[in-house]
Amino acid sequence: MSDSIGWQHPFSQVEDVERLFDGADYVADRPLCLTTKLAFDLQKPVLLEGEAGVGKTEVAKVLAKVLDTPLIRLQCYEGLDASSTLYEWNYARQILQIRLAEADASRREGLEDSIFGEAFLFDRPLLQAIRHPGPRPAVLLIDEIDRADEEFEAFLLEILSDFQVTIPELGTFTAEQPPCVVLTSNRTRELNDALKRRCLYLWIDYPTPEKEREIILRRVPGIEAELARAVATVMGGLRAVDFYKRPGVAESLDWARALLGLDITEIVPEVVRETAGVVLKYHDDVLKLDKLDLDALIAGRTVEMQD
Amino acid sequence: MASPSPVTSAESLVRHTLALCQTARAAGLAVTPAREIDIFRALKSIDWHDAGDYRLVLRTNLASGRADEILFDRVFDTYWGEPAEPESGDTILARSEMIRGSLDAGRSREGHRDMLTEAASFAGEEVTRSSNLLMRWDSDAPPLEKVIRELARRLATRPSRRTHPASHGRRIDLRRSVRRNIRHGLELVELSRVVSKVRKTRIVMLCDVSGSMDVFNPFLLQLMFGLQQTLRNSRTFVFSTRVSEISAMLRRRNIEETLEEISRTVRHWSGGTDIGAALGELNRTVLREGTSRSTVLIVISDGYDNGETQRIERELESARRRIRTLVWINPMYGATTFTVRAAGMRAAMPYIDHFLPAFNAKALHILVKGLIKIR
Repeated sequence: MSDSIGWQHPFSQVEDVERLFDGADYVADRPLCLTTKLAFDLQKPVLLEGEAGVGKTEVAKVLAKVLDTPLIRLQCYEGLDASSTLYEWNYARQILQIRLAEADASRREGLEDSIFGEAFLFDRPLLQAIRHPGPRPAVLLIDEIDRADEEFEAFLLEILSDFQVTIPELGTFTAEQPPCVVLTSNRTRELNDALKRRCLYLWIDYPTPEKEREIILRRVPGIEAELARAVATVMGGLRAVDFYKRPGVAESLDWARALLGLDITEIVPEVVRETAGVVLKYHDDVLKLDKLDLDALIAGRTVEMQD
Repeated sequence: MASPSPVTSAESLVRHTLALCQTARAAGLAVTPAREIDIFRALKSIDWHDAGDYRLVLRTNLASGRADEILFDRVFDTYWGEPAEPESGDTILARSEMIRGSLDAGRSREGHRDMLTEAASFAGEEVTRSSNLLMRWDSDAPPLEKVIRELARRLATRPSRRTHPASHGRRIDLRRSVRRNIRHGLELVELSRVVSKVRKTRIVMLCDVSGSMDVFNPFLLQLMFGLQQTLRNSRTFVFSTRVSEISAMLRRRNIEETLEEISRTVRHWSGGTDIGAALGELNRTVLREGTSRSTVLIVISDGYDNGETQRIERELESARRRIRTLVWINPMYGATTFTVRAAGMRAAMPYIDHFLPAFNAKALHILVKGLIKIR
């Protein structure tokens, strides 16, 4: 990213990524730091996969923060198409312009050129990222790509390979600063091989209890170290249980904040049961708590469901 | 603390990296020249003397999914654990002979059982030997490509309520029509039409390869190989007392190489049966990943099981929430005297959407007709 455009990314060593992420209160492990550095060195998008709530989206946010550059987010959903992601003409304004021209003959000359000009163009996230003026590249977050249709993936391939878009009426736009692209997927479906080949891949797993404790301490100001450790221990134990939806790091942070707000300093089985709704989001999963030895869970021992 | 890389010089770096790429490719990873170039570009920007970073650079470039990451780690560890020696034809032949001998010995110990008349099951017995699947592959069997393509089409697609633009079709897209006719002063001169999108369905296949299913092996292999080749994104698992994923192996074009590798890797072929445990494994892993509305689970099993019947019920109840359709293919269903006797099968029946027979090519044709209803 640095050679062709005269901008030197700040990650000359993997340790630089670690340091900058750490400064932004993101506890990143070595694989993530190395992959981030390679994304800049090789100018390749990063595809992050992992269970919901492990901090995939946060990576892009932190990256934008440490680079002091805009984060452009494209939230994917079924039915997302090129016009919603690239550009769209402001039809209402165009029609208004046409009606005005009908009423006033002097406005008719050059009407077509004017209604297909920049003033009538809505930039959508992909075009925004391509037209970002710099000096640092924008961070483009394509969130939950697995929710979009396969046709959209094919369309993305073209954009991600050239960072260039042609608008027939206006011409071709090429990115002066190719954006740093982060794609996330929850694996609700397999992505196209061609898209995956173009990306650096990283699976983000649930954190270890030690790492989770560190995350909680960083993200929940005012929490006692002992309570953070207890939250991390219980969450680690809960993730080993066969719940329909296992809690992620986001739930750990919510739970820690909830405990802090309730002035709870020690986790006991009653507290787990009463605040289960913060952590478990399905009724069946909450019912399963009654089948667990919560004392053992709090003590950090492996628990199994009792019939 | 960083551990030193086994690669010591720039010359050995190139040699070992290329050899590792070749090994990874042979193991089923998509190692393209572009990816190899990226690896060398990436190695320039890190300290490859650190073993951990060296592994990460290769992995992040070569893996395209979680399964690929695990496969790569295995390849990497095997490569450095066992110094790479190119296998000669002699060593492959010797191993093949060994597998065959081991299989024959195993079968003579167990005795051959006619599985259609005797509900033989070996549950509880952990078999860890190799099976020579090449011997079980019926090269003279009528080709199944056509019927499998049809099967794949039936299973893997369904019409969506969403639409996409098309040059033909009954439905008119008013929004696009208006937009398109701005140039005609909003007179509707040209009409834009739409047709329904076709949604892709994720297929997860769980195939029973326990001893009681031995007699159906040629057909099962053909079916698994054909479906995985046709539906590249589907996932295929085999189970007896353990579960193994064989999707990557089945994606290869060469059937002999595939069978050789499955023989080598799946060491519980012809073992006992624990359907509940296998379903539990899927519930904890692959079925967690997809959305329930897009997953079809196909279980191919005779239902003979010495595991816990309640567990089958429990796991199927859990699986039902994670899938759209459960298709159970029972090869024994084709027998004229068939009744649901197996305890595992009886436990599973209430959760099954489509209970179908398939034990040979003809039965598969009937199966495909049955699947017309599945959407």
